[in-house]
Amino acid sequence: MQNSVLQIDKIDKHYGTLQALRQVSFNVPKGSVFGILGPNGSGKTTLLGIIMDVLKASSGSYQWFGEPPTSNQRKRMGSLLETPNFYHYLSAIDNLKISAAIKGVEDSHIHSVLEKVNLGERKYSKFKTFSLGMKQRLAIAACLLGNPEVLVFDEPTNGLDPVGIAEIRNLIQQLASDGKTIIMASHLLDEVEKVCTHVAILQKGKLLANGHVQDILSNDDIVELSCNNIELLQKVALQITGHTKLEQKENTILLFFPSGSANLESINQTCFQHHITLTHLVLKKRSLESKFFELTNA
Amino acid sequence: MLKNLYIEWLKIRRYRTFWVFSILFLVTILGINYISYEIKESTSASSVFGSPFRFPHVWQTITWLSSYSLFIPGILMITFFTNEYTYRTHRQNIIDGWSRAEFIHVKLAMIGIIAVLTTFIAFLNVLLFGLSTASSFSLDKIEYLFYFFIQALSYTSVAFIIALLVKRSGLAVVLYLSYAFIIDNVFKLLLNKYFWQTGNYLPLETTDVLIPLPFFGNVLPYQANHTTALIMAFIYLVAYYLFANWKFKTADL
Repeated sequence: MQNSVLQIDKIDKHYGTLQALRQVSFNVPKGSVFGILGPNGSGKTTLLGIIMDVLKASSGSYQWFGEPPTSNQRKRMGSLLETPNFYHYLSAIDNLKISAAIKGVEDSHIHSVLEKVNLGERKYSKFKTFSLGMKQRLAIAACLLGNPEVLVFDEPTNGLDPVGIAEIRNLIQQLASDGKTIIMASHLLDEVEKVCTHVAILQKGKLLANGHVQDILSNDDIVELSCNNIELLQKVALQITGHTKLEQKENTILLFFPSGSANLESINQTCFQHHITLTHLVLKKRSLESKFFELTNA
Repeated sequence: MLKNLYIEWLKIRRYRTFWVFSILFLVTILGINYISYEIKESTSASSVFGSPFRFPHVWQTITWLSSYSLFIPGILMITFFTNEYTYRTHRQNIIDGWSRAEFIHVKLAMIGIIAVLTTFIAFLNVLLFGLSTASSFSLDKIEYLFYFFIQALSYTSVAFIIALLVKRSGLAVVLYLSYAFIIDNVFKLLLNKYFWQTGNYLPLETTDVLIPLPFFGNVLPYQANHTTALIMAFIYLVAYYLFANWKFKTADL
């Protein structure tokens, strides 16, 4: 596929008897912000390690830009895997000189990427004197060297304070709006929901689902209803057409509809015709969390 | 390759340990030679066989003495390589766009450079001590300098292979020192005693025997065959290269 930046085809990875990845296949479309979502230990980092050639797949293959993987392709990417990896005894700027030299990027870029992550003032400080958040920001600066088309981030907001998290999310959104493809592993649902356009869900090394975020993570409309007479409401609610499921949660009735098909006005009208005055009527997308639990418990 | 070597230089030029090791090596090699020089020149023993610090014997003497300091470049190599594992920069270098082959080849090139520099320092020592005995310079027996180069390659390579296998600097250094000074010699003695002198062709022994003891003339009962020792040394070097290449290209980093 021409529009895929990355194609992953039936990748397996064993560590002895432990199977870390099972037959994982998906495509990452060009220009997407692609989230790889899964609980800790689901194989996200292993998968990213394989596509960056620091781990070897037991079987299966992958292609970058429609071609078999080469080291030169990685020069066009910026990647942050697990923890920031730098020479502790060197300064921020000396560390980035090494990354820049490997990527074939001019040293003059270093200054601007350090400014972008707010490390300009500490550029001559040794890496070992940095806080966790600063190390993470330096790693992100290294990813930005040479203005790469593809960015691969493993838990990019790890170790950052709330301000830092917001900064990095803004940065990712800004990069996405510049047309970059971003592949991002995360165990944080709301992070994926906030910044990603696409998502793949991994659990115990198996791909459970992948596609557009709105298709995967919220495919139901849920209407919450309540009134003073919950028994009557339940009878009436059963007559409302188009719903797929009805649940009662204490004094609230939950009506499930296929995505986009719930009509609050007609629900309200039906109730009113049956002399019910609703005290609560809300349309909710199925919560990401409940969907995630549903998927990973399957 | 030059560009990649420049990147290695970026890694070490501000690395204090590298400079401390280099200075220690210079001091040690000079010290070993100086101590022996003082003893030999001030005792009458030298007159029986001629001074070992006069040309052309000085080539053999200095290279034999200097070989006792080869563990320092070995440990330096271990430090360079295990640093990459400690800081996980071996992964980062690959992620940034080096191929695995590039990573391992530049390290092997570093072994070559270390061996060349080490040999050059030994050469300076030959000049210093040879000329201070007021003998006239001679290229006769300069082949010992070549043997020393092979020996330096061999010591640094063994250190590198140990570092590649154990990945931790402390353990690698202890293993290396005990192998180079004790284990290798124990196996040599055992093999020489029970298996037809094959102990002389162990990884480090085969380069040690290239430069025999320069003192007391040729009084030792057995000397290894030079050609065989040299061939074995080359076989080991090729084997180290193939192993390091295979190991780094197939492993999970």
